[in-house]
Amino acid sequence: MKTVDYLIVGVGSAGGVLLQRLARAGFSVVGLEAGPFWNTEKDWVSDEAGSHKLYWEDPRVTGGSDPLAFGANNSGKGVGGGSVHWAAFTPRFHPSDFEVYTRDGLGADWPISYHDIKPYYEQLEREMPVAGPAYFPWGHPHGYSYGPHPMGGVGNALIKGCTAMGIPVSIGGPVAILSGSFGDRPHCIYRGFCIQGCKVGAKASTLITHVPDALASGAEIRPHCMASRIELGSGGRVTGVHYFDRDGESHFQPAKAVIVAAYAIETPRLLLNSGLANSSGTLGRYLMAQAGNVIMGRFDQLVRMYKAPPAHALTEEFYETNPKNDFVRGFAIQTVGPLPVAFAKQMQSAKKAWGWGLRREMMDYNHWAAFGALGEILPWADNRVTLSDETDQFGLRVAHVSFNLHDNDKKLIKAATQKTMEVMHAAGATEVVQEARYAHLVGAARMGEDPATSVVDKFGRTHDVDNLFVCDGSILPTQGSANPGLTIQALAARTADYLICQGERIFSSARRDMSEPRMRRDLAPPATWGKGVPRLT
Amino acid sequence: MATSLEIEITNHIREGKFQRSLALLTAATSVVSGLEVAYEHYRGSYSRRVMYTPVILSGLLSIAGVAAFFSRRAAQSVLRWTSVVTLADAGLGFYFHVRGIHRKPGGWRFPMTNMVMGPPIFAPLLFGTSAYLGLIASYLQREEGNTPTSRELLSAEQDIREGKFQQQVAVVAGISALLSGFEAYYSHYKNNFRYKMQWSPVVIAPLLAAACFASVKSRRAASTLLPAAAALASADAAVGFYYHARGVLRRPGGSKHLVYNIIYGPPIFAPLLLGAAGMLGFLASLLRRRRA
Amino acid sequence: MSEYNNSDPSLRPVNPETGEPFPPTDQPGYYPGFRTLSQSPYWDAATRNVVTLRVTDPPERRFFTAYEWKFWETVFSHLIPQTDRTPERQIPLIPPLDARLYANRTDGYRYETMPQDREAYKIGIEAINNESAARFGGEFLDLGHWQQEKVLQAIHDGRPEASPEIWKSMSVSRFWELIMHDAMKAYYGHPWAWDEVGFGGPAYPRAYMRLENGEPEPWEVREKRHEWRAPDLSVSDEVEPLHHLHTEATQRAHISPLRKKP
Repeated sequence: MKTVDYLIVGVGSAGGVLLQRLARAGFSVVGLEAGPFWNTEKDWVSDEAGSHKLYWEDPRVTGGSDPLAFGANNSGKGVGGGSVHWAAFTPRFHPSDFEVYTRDGLGADWPISYHDIKPYYEQLEREMPVAGPAYFPWGHPHGYSYGPHPMGGVGNALIKGCTAMGIPVSIGGPVAILSGSFGDRPHCIYRGFCIQGCKVGAKASTLITHVPDALASGAEIRPHCMASRIELGSGGRVTGVHYFDRDGESHFQPAKAVIVAAYAIETPRLLLNSGLANSSGTLGRYLMAQAGNVIMGRFDQLVRMYKAPPAHALTEEFYETNPKNDFVRGFAIQTVGPLPVAFAKQMQSAKKAWGWGLRREMMDYNHWAAFGALGEILPWADNRVTLSDETDQFGLRVAHVSFNLHDNDKKLIKAATQKTMEVMHAAGATEVVQEARYAHLVGAARMGEDPATSVVDKFGRTHDVDNLFVCDGSILPTQGSANPGLTIQALAARTADYLICQGERIFSSARRDMSEPRMRRDLAPPATWGKGVPRLT
Repeated sequence: MATSLEIEITNHIREGKFQRSLALLTAATSVVSGLEVAYEHYRGSYSRRVMYTPVILSGLLSIAGVAAFFSRRAAQSVLRWTSVVTLADAGLGFYFHVRGIHRKPGGWRFPMTNMVMGPPIFAPLLFGTSAYLGLIASYLQREEGNTPTSRELLSAEQDIREGKFQQQVAVVAGISALLSGFEAYYSHYKNNFRYKMQWSPVVIAPLLAAACFASVKSRRAASTLLPAAAALASADAAVGFYYHARGVLRRPGGSKHLVYNIIYGPPIFAPLLLGAAGMLGFLASLLRRRRA
Repeated sequence: MSEYNNSDPSLRPVNPETGEPFPPTDQPGYYPGFRTLSQSPYWDAATRNVVTLRVTDPPERRFFTAYEWKFWETVFSHLIPQTDRTPERQIPLIPPLDARLYANRTDGYRYETMPQDREAYKIGIEAINNESAARFGGEFLDLGHWQQEKVLQAIHDGRPEASPEIWKSMSVSRFWELIMHDAMKAYYGHPWAWDEVGFGGPAYPRAYMRLENGEPEPWEVREKRHEWRAPDLSVSDEVEPLHHLHTEATQRAHISPLRKKP
């Protein structure tokens, strides 16, 4: 095969953005994607049970004292990756998230600050675009150029509860869901099936926001191709990636540089299977999920929570460290909108419901509203991805994930749950229950200045190999209580600008230029401009 | 028993001598329409640049209306042409709204769902009402008389100038009533007619329209039915305005999230549209009819 | 098809006013007359095909043996009882499970404390049969309805009395979660269950216009509640809220309080 400039493993949230930027800048780029290239009209169904193909269902082993669930809980498969099935909450991280260790003595500091990523937040918020209130007060206050969404029953409950308790609430966003049309993309029709894939095209996924322009700019995507090993050449640089195609045949694609964007599990798994980038011993470590407890409240009047996007309102009032607490960092409270199967599982967990008890609870489905507490679990060395001895259908060693809550995490989760239950009561719920679970997954190939304690530098370049990059959720050193999707795409755009500015040096030079790249707004997908309102801030 | 002030006003209207008042009314209604379209288009996120045009034009029209109050020249030029451009914009808006509904998933296969959830189909035409007022005003005489004409007038223009355009206003009022009534119908349908009062504009608007169209044929209807129907519609509009304002404040978060609740609550100025139709009907009843 | 085809009235829910069991109905729940399938002309073709097939053509038995199929059908009829439904309106719970195991399709992760799903469903039979023998002296399928329910309740509670060596290799709570998930996915993924709970069903390209205050769409129906008691022979009409436990591990590992012996 012909050598390409960049080979991107995983065309998901980050992979899609990288593919588009690099192709538009004129590089030859190939994206390998283990899953399908979706035809949204034919492949996706407006149905819970029929949507399992969107998720990574290949085997993983999960353990530790607080084992995580994967699959439909957080792991996507197919072009667009997690951005196909996300609920599309897209808040930014706060300035404090980038210096948690300095401020609170726990967690880690990032090698970049909010200031470095801010222009990319603004840029991606235009490209998706993100809809939200004109003034979002938390973190670094800012506004959105697409207006807020109408509320469903759950949003109204959150507003009622927060207003009663004097808690400010962000209404109608920030979500990467259209509240007005965007070129050919119609705006949301409020059908509540976000997590099953947006057939309307209103919810942003890189499948529709970046991949089309990538292909138009000459990028190539190879779906149903599972990367198996990154090849290291004799000169200490990677030379390409081995992968299995749809028929199980192995191929080798040579490349001048490789970017791994395969998700917080598959990225460390691939690098560990390839024996690369782990001189620090931190590859696979500092994995983070957020606490994602779902608090459900029963109301006397009907709610019908299935009718709006699950994500439509939130509050970050408790995000920052409060010295009065016995823990550091905090949590957010968000709306969620479980459909019947998901809700049944929640009743089974939260109330040990079964048999006639379950039938009875479920007949009241329309009386329930649900909030999600999103709590910041800190990065710990013993939360990690390793290789188990089991192998998958390709003969590759399967990922083993070990997850364990620490003291700060448990106290934080307790406070988050209790506060969210208070809000649900304040909203008028007559009965409030809670299902403990987790949400999102980042870390395991974290960025840092020190090669002894991190895997990649502030641009995603691995400390060990000059032309091997990681750019997806696995590079986050901390996670805040914000959904990571926007930050992942913003970091991808920033890494792309760096690679584009560095040009040929990436492919040949051993010297690393660490200067900040010029921001390349001109490389945004052309449909981005000419829409929306001027932002207030 | 009519007071002498009422008689004087009525005579002025009969004779087409109310340019300044109508210009001011144009300005006022234009501000209200402008606010309404500004926040409704914010709901649509100004996804196309053209959505700014009615907002900008409302501003210009209200300035033109105020200028016309002070200056006869402004009334005959600036107000006239701003009104014409705004009317054209209203037509353009109607086209875009119809197209917008067509482009929603399912398009016209789900007429009620997509009219309810899509761009309000007749809103742009109703938005044009204030521009219609401005256009009429530009042909009227001023209250104090002394309104020379710069050129020979067409007979239609002369009719307006002399207050002899009752039937024309009646038709416009009738159409406006039907459009407002339809808007009220599907908007209240979205709400599932939770409150019985929500039927009132749906019932009253066709009554007003019937009175308007009857007035085209019959002078009697114009002087009896029409003012009665207009009064009923205006009263209903005031009641509706009260309920909408109350509805906005009763939303979750109430006045603490006032801007959001105005945007997504019952459209605060919408009932006044039926009131505008009522007002046009009332105006029609005071005018004289066209020369034979 | 389940054998609990309403031949035994003592297995049906009871009207608390009269004390009489309700006759079986086409549609339990509080939304009489509501039919999501009536909306299928307004769905997209891909969704319509998938959902219609689920109703008209549940998969045939390919993975389980005839005994295993019958075993799990009986177990699942306790996990999600359907004696309030007419025989023609029983929602098939085992066909989707059989199809999934046949394809060896999983959720994409396996707890360390669990075997693979196919294995779990094999040794689960042994564990349940041992529990039945220990408590009531017979195999599960030979027990009476109430006895079967008590056996399953023991697993639900996290208090099995038999086969400690099986439960060493397979977490009780995760096993319970596994079988409950399969039952719930089959039941609440079915249009007849959507009708029962008043869920709007697929919604593309026709979606919703009444988002607030629980207002029904023009084609949805208002709720009409009625009181009902679980059948006298059942023990599953109970819930145990766990909101005082804040982490996933503590909730899953929770063992229900000891029950008084009957």
